[in-house]
Amino acid sequence: MDKPQVKGNTITIPSNAKFLTDVDEFIEGQLRDWGTADSVIADIAISVSELVNNAIVHGNKASPDGVVTVSIRRSGDTVTIDVADEGGGFNPAEIDDPLKDENLLKEVGRGIFIVESLMDKVDVRVEGRGTTISISKAIA
Amino acid sequence: MKLSDRIQDDVVILEPTGKIMGGPDASLLHDKLYEYIEKNMKRVVIDLAQVDWMNSTGLGILISGYTTLRNSNGELKLANVTDKIQSLLTITKLVTVFETHDSVEDAIKSFDS
Repeated sequence: MDKPQVKGNTITIPSNAKFLTDVDEFIEGQLRDWGTADSVIADIAISVSELVNNAIVHGNKASPDGVVTVSIRRSGDTVTIDVADEGGGFNPAEIDDPLKDENLLKEVGRGIFIVESLMDKVDVRVEGRGTTISISKAIA
Repeated sequence: MKLSDRIQDDVVILEPTGKIMGGPDASLLHDKLYEYIEKNMKRVVIDLAQVDWMNSTGLGILISGYTTLRNSNGELKLANVTDKIQSLLTITKLVTVFETHDSVEDAIKSFDS
C-alpha cells in the first residue's frame, strides 16, 4: 500500500507519519457531519493523532510495509474510534508517569496520558495480528 | 501546519498556523527553531494564536526548544495560547514550565524586564 484507502467508516494508511493529515481529515469530517462541537472534535482529533503516531512508531516500528487502520462509529451520543496496528502491544501501566518532576522535560512519553485525559474510555486489546486501541467519548 | 517567521526588536517570532500533529509538518517548526538557535538568535517567542491544536509531538518540540535555549542562556516564551492548548499545558503540568503572555508584544517586552 502506498497511499491511504477509505472504505465506509474506515481509513487505512501506510505506516508513515506523513499520512496523519489524511486520518485527521477523515475523522474530523465524520465528526462534523454528526454535528460535534469544535472543542470535542479537537479532543478526539488530538487523541487519534497520538494513537496513530504510536501505531506507526512503536506498533509497526516504522516499517514501510506496515499499515494502520482507523475506524469510527457512533452509538447514540457516543463515538468510538479503533486504531489498529500490527505490533505486539504495550502495557499502559509500564509507561513512566509524565507528571513526575523527573519526566516533565522529556520530549516524549505523554501521548497515552493525553489520550486518557481527553477521552471518556480507553481500551487496549492485543490480538493475533496486532494491537487495537479503542477510544470513546460522548459528543452530545 | 504552515509556519511563518520574523524578527522584531531582536526577538525571533515564530507563527505556526493549523495543527501540530507530527510528520513533516511538525519538522518545519523544529527545524526553523534550530535554524535560529544556530544563528545565535536565542530570544524566541512562539505565537500560538493560529494553532487549532497540537498533540504530544508539538509539546515535545516546544520542550526541546525550551531546554536547548535555556541551556545556552536563551529563552523561549509562548504568546496567545489558545484555550485548547492551555488545557493541554495544564493537564501535562507543562504550565509550570513555559512562560506565557497574552500578546507577542507583551512577550517581547518581558525579555527586557
